Amino acid sequence: MKTGVLDRGIVFEKKKSEWRSHELIGFWALRLTLVLVLFILGIIVFDIVSKGAGVINWEFLTQPPRVGMTEGGIFPAIVGTFYVTLITIAFAVPLGVGAAIYLNEYAVQGKFTRLVRMSVRNLAGVPSIVFGLFGMAVFVKIFGFGPSLIAAGFTLGLLTLPVTVTASEEALRTVPRAYREGSFALGATRWQVVRTVVLPRAIPGILTGTILGLARAAGETAPILATGAAFFLPHLPDSIRSQFMALPYHLFIMSTQHHAISQVRPIAYGTALVLLALVCLLNLAAVLLRKRYRDRVAKGL
Amino acid sequence: MLKTNSNVAIDKNVIQEASKPEPAKTKQFVDNEYCEVKVENLNFFYGSVQALFNVSVKVQEKGVAALIGPSGCGKSTFLRVLNRMNDLIPGTRLEGKVSIHGENIYAPNTDVVNLRKKVGMVFQHPNPFPKSIFDNIAYGPRIDGLKDKAVLSEIVETSLKGAALWDEVKDRLNEPALALSGGQQQRLCIARALAVKPRILLMDEPTSAIDPIATQRIEDLIRDLCTDYTIIIVTHNMQQAARISDYTGFFLQGEMIEWGKTSGLFTNPEDQRTEDYITGRFG
Repeated sequence: MKTGVLDRGIVFEKKKSEWRSHELIGFWALRLTLVLVLFILGIIVFDIVSKGAGVINWEFLTQPPRVGMTEGGIFPAIVGTFYVTLITIAFAVPLGVGAAIYLNEYAVQGKFTRLVRMSVRNLAGVPSIVFGLFGMAVFVKIFGFGPSLIAAGFTLGLLTLPVTVTASEEALRTVPRAYREGSFALGATRWQVVRTVVLPRAIPGILTGTILGLARAAGETAPILATGAAFFLPHLPDSIRSQFMALPYHLFIMSTQHHAISQVRPIAYGTALVLLALVCLLNLAAVLLRKRYRDRVAKGL
Repeated sequence: MLKTNSNVAIDKNVIQEASKPEPAKTKQFVDNEYCEVKVENLNFFYGSVQALFNVSVKVQEKGVAALIGPSGCGKSTFLRVLNRMNDLIPGTRLEGKVSIHGENIYAPNTDVVNLRKKVGMVFQHPNPFPKSIFDNIAYGPRIDGLKDKAVLSEIVETSLKGAALWDEVKDRLNEPALALSGGQQQRLCIARALAVKPRILLMDEPTSAIDPIATQRIEDLIRDLCTDYTIIIVTHNMQQAARISDYTGFFLQGEMIEWGKTSGLFTNPEDQRTEDYITGRFG
C-alpha cells in the first residue's frame, strides 16, 4: 500500500475532478433554469411593451374612452384602480397589522394561535373568484353597499389580508427578544413595548409585505368583477358608493368582451402596459422603503 | 453593608429532615421586619419542570449580593423572579412568598409595571435599543410620561454620570447607542436602568460578554453604586463574586445550598458542596 505524498496527491486530483464535473452539471442546470425564467419574463414584457408603448401618450393617460371605447384613453380606469387601492389599504392594513400584533405579541401561543395562523395562510390559497363571490354576497348584498368602490375595496382587502398578516408577523418575529426584555425591565407596559420598541423595528418588513400584497390586489380582476367594477362609466366615481372602472377589468373587457376586439387590441396592450408599470412602481416603492429602513437600522437609529 | 441574620442562610437541617410534616419545611421569618428582598420557600416551575426548590433568603440592607453556581442551577431564574420577568415566559408557576420592601410582589393586586420600575435589570448581553444614546437613557422616564426636555436632559446626565459613562459620551448623545463598544453599551444599559430611579438593581452576568478592562470598570461601578442601591448580581466568575460582593449565595440544581457573608463563604464554607464548587472540584 503506497502512502507516499505523491500517491495521496493523485488521489486528491482524481476526486477533485469528479467533484468538479458533478458541480459543473448542477451549476449549469440551475443557471439554465434561471435563464429560462428570465427569458419567459422577457418575452412577456417585450410583447406588452412593444405592442402597448405605441398608444401611450398624454391623451391616453388623461382622457376617458370615447366612441364606444374604440378611441380615447383609460383615465377613469387609472383613477378607479387608484381609489380602490386606497380603500384596500384603509381596510387591510389596520386589520392585518392589528391581527398580527395581537397574534405575535399578546396571544398566548398554543393550539388556538396555531389554528388561526394555519387558517390565515390557507386563506391565501383561496381562488380570487371565491373572494369576489363572497364580497358580492356580504358587502354588496348583506351590508347593502351595492356594487361600489367600498365593496370592491373591502373584497380586495380580504384578499390581501393573509399576505399582510403573515408579512407583519414575520417582521414582528425578527425583532430581537432582548429589546422586548430591555423595555419590559424598565417598567414598560406591553403596549408601550410594542409601540416604542417592536413596531419601529418591524415597520420596514410590514410595509414591504403589505405593498407586495397590494400590488397583487391592484391587478386582480375576479374580486372586483361582481363587487363594483363597471364596464364603462362616462364620469369618475364621486363617492365610495359609486361604481368605478379599473385597469385589470378594463383590460379584461378590451381583450375579450369588446364588440371590436381586433380594433381595440392596441388599447388593450396599452392598458396592460400601464397596469404592469403600476405594479412595478409599487414593487419599486417596497424596495426603496426597505432600503431606507435598512440603512436606518444599519446606523442603529 | 449587609447584616447577617442567623436564619438567613438556607436552613439545611430543615431541608434534610424530609420526614417531618410539610409545615415544618416552611421557614417563617419575623413579619413586618424591613428587608430589601425577602424570599420564603420559593418553588419555581417551568411547566412541569421544577427549577427552584424551597429557596429562602433575606437581603436586609443595601450592598452587593452575588449568586454563584454552575450553569443551569437556577440562579438566573431566581434573579428573574425578583422583577417578575419570568411572567413573560408562558407556563411558569411559582409557590412561596417573595417580598420587596415588605410588599409581597406576587400578591394578586401587584402592579408589575411599578415593580419593574423599582427593581431594575441589566442583562447578560448589552441590549441598548436601536436609538440614540440620549433616547436610550430617556426611554424609562418617557414611558412614564415625562416630556419636559430640560428635565429629561438632566436625568440623562445624572444617569450617565452615575454609570461612569458621561465623560465618554457627553459630546455625542445623539449618536446611535449601538455604535458604542460592548463595555460602554453595558454601562449605557446600567445608566438606562438608573434613569428610572430603581431601588434594587438585578444584574444577570453583566460582564460575561465583555472584555477584562471593561469588566474592571463595571465592577468598580458596581462597588460605587452599592451605597445607594441593593445590587443582586448573577455571575459565573467566582473571583468576581469574591471581589465585589458583600454576600454570596451558592446555587446548585435549583437549591440555594449556602448563603452568607462573602468573606465567610469563600474562606470557610459550611457546606461540602460549596467548598467543592469554590475550590474548583466541579462546575
